[in-house]
Amino acid sequence: MTPESVSHLQRVLERAARILRIGALVNGALAGLILVLGIIGALRIFPDMFATLHRLLLFNTPGADDATVTGAMLLALLNLSLLLVLGVGALARETWTLAALFALALANLGALIGLGYTLAPLTIAFALYTLYVILRDRIARGAFRPNPVMIKELRGRMRGVRAFVVLTVYLSLMGGFAMLLYLIYSTAGRDPGSAAAGEIGRVLFNGVFAVELLLIIFIAPAFTAGSITGERERQTYDLLRTTLLSNASFVIGKLESALGYVMLLLLAGIPLQAFAFLFGGVSETELLLSLTILVITAITLGTIGIYFSAGNERTLNASVRAYSTTLILLFVVPSVISLILAVLNGFLFGVSGLFPYAPLEAVFVYLSHFLTSINPLAAAVTTQNLLVTQQIAGFYPFTLSVDGTTIPLASPWINFSILYTAAASILLTLTIRAVRNLDERELPHTV
Amino acid sequence: MTDMIIVTKDLVKQFGKFTAVNGLSLQVPAGSIYGFVGPNGAGKTTTMRMLTTLTRPTHGEAWVAGHSVTADPRAVRRAIGYMPDEFGVYDDMRVWEYLDFFAACYDIPENQRKPLISDLLELVDLTHRRDDMVDKLSRGMKQRLSLARTLAHDPSVLILDEPASGLDPRARVEIRELLVELSKMGKTIFFSTHILADVSEICTHIGIIEAGQMIAQGSMNDMRAQLQPHREITVTVKDSDAAALVRSTLESFPGVIGIKDLEPKGGRSLVRIDYSGDDDGVAAMSGAINGAGIAVLGFNEETKDLEAIFMRVTKGIVT
Ligand SMILES: Nc1ncnc2c1ncn2[C@@H]1O[C@H](COP(=O)(O)OP(=O)(O)O)[C@@H](O)[C@H]1O
Ligand SMILES: [Mg+2]
Repeated sequence: MTPESVSHLQRVLERAARILRIGALVNGALAGLILVLGIIGALRIFPDMFATLHRLLLFNTPGADDATVTGAMLLALLNLSLLLVLGVGALARETWTLAALFALALANLGALIGLGYTLAPLTIAFALYTLYVILRDRIARGAFRPNPVMIKELRGRMRGVRAFVVLTVYLSLMGGFAMLLYLIYSTAGRDPGSAAAGEIGRVLFNGVFAVELLLIIFIAPAFTAGSITGERERQTYDLLRTTLLSNASFVIGKLESALGYVMLLLLAGIPLQAFAFLFGGVSETELLLSLTILVITAITLGTIGIYFSAGNERTLNASVRAYSTTLILLFVVPSVISLILAVLNGFLFGVSGLFPYAPLEAVFVYLSHFLTSINPLAAAVTTQNLLVTQQIAGFYPFTLSVDGTTIPLASPWINFSILYTAAASILLTLTIRAVRNLDERELPHTV
Repeated sequence: MTDMIIVTKDLVKQFGKFTAVNGLSLQVPAGSIYGFVGPNGAGKTTTMRMLTTLTRPTHGEAWVAGHSVTADPRAVRRAIGYMPDEFGVYDDMRVWEYLDFFAACYDIPENQRKPLISDLLELVDLTHRRDDMVDKLSRGMKQRLSLARTLAHDPSVLILDEPASGLDPRARVEIRELLVELSKMGKTIFFSTHILADVSEICTHIGIIEAGQMIAQGSMNDMRAQLQPHREITVTVKDSDAAALVRSTLESFPGVIGIKDLEPKGGRSLVRIDYSGDDDGVAAMSGAINGAGIAVLGFNEETKDLEAIFMRVTKGIVT
């Protein structure tokens, strides 16, 4: 490529990224609008607000009006996150971006036809227009490629015996753990398919999930927190900056390589989880939802790590901040606030509550529900409970204690996925901005 | 006028209140080997970091290969190969992977990278270390590998920060030879050094920087001429008659400023000619003396070495 085509490519990519960012903003604005209208509807100022919104937004979806409207808002939020991520992916010239843009358009088309999601055409238009901008340009079209940083990192990480030792130790620990669980519970009964065997299957499944989740919580931020600071500490950062590697490629490459390794660990654990099927008592839906939660957790925690890596001089500081943020976010915030909410809830709305006002109770319920969704473990446990006891994986009505009316709640994995995806997409955007600011700042220098 | 491939105009870089580069104007002709000379802390690295788009100038502008470093940094990056004064080590990489990675960062398609890496390793004489880990290489080899890295995308300008510093004499000579070879391949080489030997051996142009300011720059010949008002040529002949003949022959020779007899040495007579002409003129002068039938025993030009020039130029400004 000549210097001129390099500048040209940059302009095309920035244009594509800008279109996707605008698409994300539009979706965000619409989600906000639905939220405001929903609140107005909940206050019962306009009696048929929800019914109208239901007809307008998701005309082909059966179900309660209020639940459908909430669903429409969540869909807009999901589109927002995905468009943001794809904007970064386009800047980074990731090959998967092109496929994902197409898939996003297709999925929205599906939502339009299947659910009657009338906001889908917006996202379809943004995705297809971006594809058009990229694909009609010969240089831009040819510039999408495997990420060099990812290849470099994975080469290093997979080299020699270390990677195999880690994987082997991990699998033996998991295997041993599963065996132990089996031994403890096997006294209960041996007939496959019996209730007792199903119990073993469930315990096995949950145990493996818990261990994998713990692993992700400790590995994902660690792998990414050193990614940018490490380059600076080794004085290779300036070398990279004088190449044509963009900040977006750099950040995405680092993230991909860290996640690639985590995914490998998750994949290696699947046979163990599937082992639980032999005993029965676990459904495919459970396996699918648990994997969704694990993957999304890994992505978001990895993004937290890389965000702090961009904002700190040293790996140590970045790691400490990434871990403390993760722990506070995952454990302190949900537990402390839920506790406070639970106490207040009984106090205000209980049988002889002080303040029996339904909309306020609804806000409380939503808040504590939302908090459950911050912690992947809590989200997983609640999701599983709903699935096992009531066969619910989507929306369900919740009866308020004040006046017996119902409000729609989503199974926590839905909130969790959307919340975490949104957080990851926003953090990713912020990280790239932070890297750019880093370049402007002067590094301490010795002659 | 030759094309200038690096041009800076009143370049200023301040760190807080401290001015590291102070109104620097620099011109590097295409195809030259340009030595950027100055003592430690003079602002060489800072200037190069501005040229390589790593730092933004506080004031002023710079263009590399016609592209502005502030307005179009990516085009500048495409045009340059940069070697910083520190060797960045990836400790978990093989030599070929190191080159492969950087080639990929310059968007060189995968199917072209293998032959490219072979060529580059061949050029810097590291073919036999292709599969070794980078951190096992000696310092000189790392420096050569670095140089190979800067060439991956076939840039027109190489910007090298102290390429020979910290090397043993042998490795230093090897690097110098490499630079000459690269120059023959048509690359412009802009390198910084505080070692004058590097400059006098290979440079076609030099610029002297001191306390963030350009003190003198130009081609090596111009620099010599500019810093030495005239050349001093000593002609050795058999006796005083021959010396008189030399005097009369050269009296009216264009460019001759003065002629003086020196003390005879070992029974021979010496005539010193102060001359303000160029190399062609010197050759013509020698021809004229021979043409007059004088038996010449010696015809020497006294060259002032660069060290002396450098000392004279930087005198008084060194902090
Ligand atoms: N990032 C920085 N912050 C503060 N001062 C700096 C920075 N970089 C360089 N300097 C100062 O600028 C001056 C020139 O440094 P430099 O360009 O590295 O000199 P050289 O490469 O010629 O030895 C030095 O006095 C140095 O301390
Ligand atoms: Mg320096």
